[in-house]
Amino acid sequence: MNFAGIDVGSLTAQAVVVNEDGIRAFKSIRVKPNPVDSAQAVVDMVLSEDSLSWKDIKFCVSTGYGRDKVQAKGLSQDNMSEISCHGLGAFWLCPEARTVIDIGGQDAKVIRIGTNGELADFVMNDKCAAGTGRFLEVQARTLGLSLEELGEIALGAERAVELSNRCSIFCETEVLHYMQAGNDKADIAAGVCRAMADRVAALVRRVGLDGEVTMTGGVAKNVGVRTELERIFSVRLVTYEVDSQIVGALGAALVAKRMGG
Amino acid sequence: MVNTLQEQSTDIYTEYVRDWKEKGGKVLGYACIATPVEVIEAAGILPYRIKAFGHPDTELGDAYLARFNCRFCRSCLQLGLDGTYDFLDGLLETNGCDHLRGMFENWQHVIKHDFFHYLKVPHFVRDDSLDYFEEELALMCQAICEHFEVDINEQKLSQAIATYDDIQAKLKKLYELRERSDPAVSGAEVMRIICTGSSMRGEDFNALLDKILAEKAAAKLPASRARMILLGSATDEIDLVADMESQGAFIATDALCFGSRSFWSKSGESTEPVRLLAEKYLSNLFCPRMFAEYDKRREFILQTAERANVDGAVIVYNKFCDLHGVEAVSLRMDLEKNGIPVLVLEKDYGSKADSGRIKTRVQAFLERIGG
Amino acid sequence: MPATQLREYEGLINRVSEIFTIADKLPYNMTDEEVEGVLHILPGDLEKTLRAFLSPRVRNNSVQFLKMIKAWLTGAREGQQHGKKVFLVPFNFPVEALYCFENAWPVTSEVLSTMGVAALEGQGERYWDYAMGLGLPDFACSANMIEVGSALTSIDFVPDAVISDCFGSCDINSKTHEFLARYMDIPLIFLEKPVDDTERGINQYYRYFNTMVEEIEEFLGERLDEQRMRDVIGLANQASELFWELWDLHKFSPCPVPNIFSLFTYGTRFVAWGTERAVEIMQSMVDTARERLENGSYPSEREMVRSMWSYTSYYFDMAGLFNWMEENGITHLGDGLNLVFPRIVDTTSRETMLKGLAEIARNMPMTRQMGASSMSVQWLDDIMYASKELNADCVIYCGHHSCKQTWSGASIVRSELMKRAKIPTLFLQGDSWIRRMTPMSVLQETINEFVNTIVKKRRTPAGTVG
Repeated sequence: MNFAGIDVGSLTAQAVVVNEDGIRAFKSIRVKPNPVDSAQAVVDMVLSEDSLSWKDIKFCVSTGYGRDKVQAKGLSQDNMSEISCHGLGAFWLCPEARTVIDIGGQDAKVIRIGTNGELADFVMNDKCAAGTGRFLEVQARTLGLSLEELGEIALGAERAVELSNRCSIFCETEVLHYMQAGNDKADIAAGVCRAMADRVAALVRRVGLDGEVTMTGGVAKNVGVRTELERIFSVRLVTYEVDSQIVGALGAALVAKRMGG
Repeated sequence: MVNTLQEQSTDIYTEYVRDWKEKGGKVLGYACIATPVEVIEAAGILPYRIKAFGHPDTELGDAYLARFNCRFCRSCLQLGLDGTYDFLDGLLETNGCDHLRGMFENWQHVIKHDFFHYLKVPHFVRDDSLDYFEEELALMCQAICEHFEVDINEQKLSQAIATYDDIQAKLKKLYELRERSDPAVSGAEVMRIICTGSSMRGEDFNALLDKILAEKAAAKLPASRARMILLGSATDEIDLVADMESQGAFIATDALCFGSRSFWSKSGESTEPVRLLAEKYLSNLFCPRMFAEYDKRREFILQTAERANVDGAVIVYNKFCDLHGVEAVSLRMDLEKNGIPVLVLEKDYGSKADSGRIKTRVQAFLERIGG
Repeated sequence: MPATQLREYEGLINRVSEIFTIADKLPYNMTDEEVEGVLHILPGDLEKTLRAFLSPRVRNNSVQFLKMIKAWLTGAREGQQHGKKVFLVPFNFPVEALYCFENAWPVTSEVLSTMGVAALEGQGERYWDYAMGLGLPDFACSANMIEVGSALTSIDFVPDAVISDCFGSCDINSKTHEFLARYMDIPLIFLEKPVDDTERGINQYYRYFNTMVEEIEEFLGERLDEQRMRDVIGLANQASELFWELWDLHKFSPCPVPNIFSLFTYGTRFVAWGTERAVEIMQSMVDTARERLENGSYPSEREMVRSMWSYTSYYFDMAGLFNWMEENGITHLGDGLNLVFPRIVDTTSRETMLKGLAEIARNMPMTRQMGASSMSVQWLDDIMYASKELNADCVIYCGHHSCKQTWSGASIVRSELMKRAKIPTLFLQGDSWIRRMTPMSVLQETINEFVNTIVKKRRTPAGTVG
């Protein structure tokens, strides 16, 4: 029996299909203007790429932006908050994790989960670009680096520069200033990653760190930010094999399995 | 009449007020639950609580107040400056909070109402502050009498007090209908009713409540996922409450400014009307502006939560609201200590964009508490 | 796992006090080489602050001021060990009222935060982070939040009681101190300013003030001694007279009073009024200003603009503000916190002294303006008075983001200042204590543009206000 989860985010949409053996298929696409269209497109793709059809899916749960509209259109049978879904997905991947830091393109959340992956507490920032993937994008572009390069190069820094400002726009000015002053790109990249981690740390403090920690969402792929978070909290982030961007959809699929199984 | 009034309940210049004005009636605007509306009622004037119903445009308001000021105040000021509140015959300022003080100062600076009186409310309760507040009320009576050429005698005042005591009792009955295990009225509906009443003469609101209570007696709401107590900043955003309830979070009770805090615990012992009003309005003013009275507020909230058998609490405060923003921390800790899970939401008043964010958090909170 | 690593010697009061030991060891009359040598061994943020303070033109005054801060903090820590009760007070509380007690010592919340910003590596932001971690809102005032965050860690020095006299003049300050007292489980003694400037309102304030004094007496188990009061208030009177001398010296152009003296004046007022140190510091500042007046010295080639700051200044980069301004010919005549308008108290009897203290308390900055029945009217009156008296060309409103009362009246004040006195006002936006919001470079750029486009044009070739 197959179960599906759909996660429509601000920049990408994901679909995951699970069965008794685990993850069967997954897909990630750039979103369309309408969340329902995004959901339809990503599910169609994941099904066709794995030679499945809708009738092979016993139950589907939607999460993320427009999750209730997706359900209303009949693409899912139920919907759940992306907060719970990220928590459940992370727990399935790392059963020892109790704190999940999810940083997407335009939002960030910190989730505490219980011993069964149930949601214990959470805090979310979805208003300010600082502390989200958007912040990294802006600074990477200023440095002339891709997002991947930003994190990699940061690891080679001798001494991270200080970006004292909280606002992405003022930070951009600071980055330019350091570039003009001839600071090493690696040091500036490290400063950007550190500033990003500092903002995320502010969210973490609101919820409190508990047990093992893992990251989900696109920014989890940034090794520079990961390293900084590990430094700030003196932890080793628990890793997993799956693409960090699909964790929300995975959680939704697991909920679908629980509800429909 | 009930339905009509309910439909109008998010208008500012309602048909009821228009009617009143056309008959030559006067309207006095006030903003704060520390304002003894009985005095205005006794003067034969309509006491109108200034609201904005989440009005999103604040262009004029922002020219005077700053973006660091509470948007509820900016929205109200907007409506004051753009002509929406031109029907007011005067303003009664109270020092509810720093933002409100700014709102009133700017409003009067621009509009220059003929009648503008400042009722100064102490921030704590003690014999000397009660004495001062009693004098303030006497001055308020005098100012209204002189300007509007009316007489507020003891008898009229006692009558008005009796009317609002009646309203208090009926609102409590309304809350009973909402707080019971098979509720008959929703949180959004109650806020709508209270907002409606805050734009009416007490005697008419009193009569309206009879009709509402009769109408709702046999009503039954569909089941919800969980029962909540709603706490926080001044908000007249009925849609906010409706959004939460649409997620399955039934707002079984509240301790809101446009809610139970505006009437529940008003009581006094004096037989002298002005002193009695001072006691009613200051002694149990459950507002975080009463800096030394947190313990009483906490007890009120815990008792309210217990009475309504809630599964959780939602604290919503407007961005830049210092009073509720800081108080939320203490309340969260105390509620959780008493086994009540809490969701704290910082909200931008009047922002439609916040609707999606609020729904996500409420849904997640319900999932968290197993609702 | 704690989300913020704290070390046992930390805590704002403890750590700042330790760091100020360095300041206490500094000699007077240091040479430039000696100063460079000291600065060389200091960590970044402290080095920046001391570079501003140890600038040659204010060096000795700064050393004296820093020693005073050290003595004040030592007085609190050692005093408590020897049985004194330490009161956490906001800046608008007249500290001489506590010095009148044998067994009391004041610790001023905002000055603590400012000294943390000045002295600590990271400028005290870790304590702010801690406060935010508890869920306190980020629009709360950093002047209090830095101190609050430290207090919440439970590893800092703990005062014995809190006095809040901001009821009526500042919600966030009142709320913060209320919260802190409860969290630390120590008594809260309060003083409300009725927003009422009639005789009735003033008398009500006197009543509240006297009740507060009785509560302090009861808490301490000590009744105010009239002679001690006379001694302390006598010293406060001396400092007040010197305040007015320094005020008058501001009137000369170019201004002989260094910009940073604005900070030193109210820093001294908020922690040491009523002590000999306050008199000494005020006297030294007057002497320095007189000397500069005689020499005609001014840090820049000429004084381009004379600015009155209508509320606070910026404290996270003292050099970037105070020193930079005067090096660019922009005089800082004072800010809202300088609107202390100190009075000379009649020391005839306990009653006259209590009344005098109450009058002083009622007229402390923020209480006087923001606790008035019209915030904008009183604030405007005071700014206009100060601007005219001191011949300001312009007013700069710092725009500290969490100052909700001033933000709510600032537009009225700006337009009326222009209408009545033709004085233009610049609105800045930032956080006076935390650099994360608006960097100093942006503030400087904005000030520069304002000065060069608006203000300079108003001056006649002779350099007087048009």
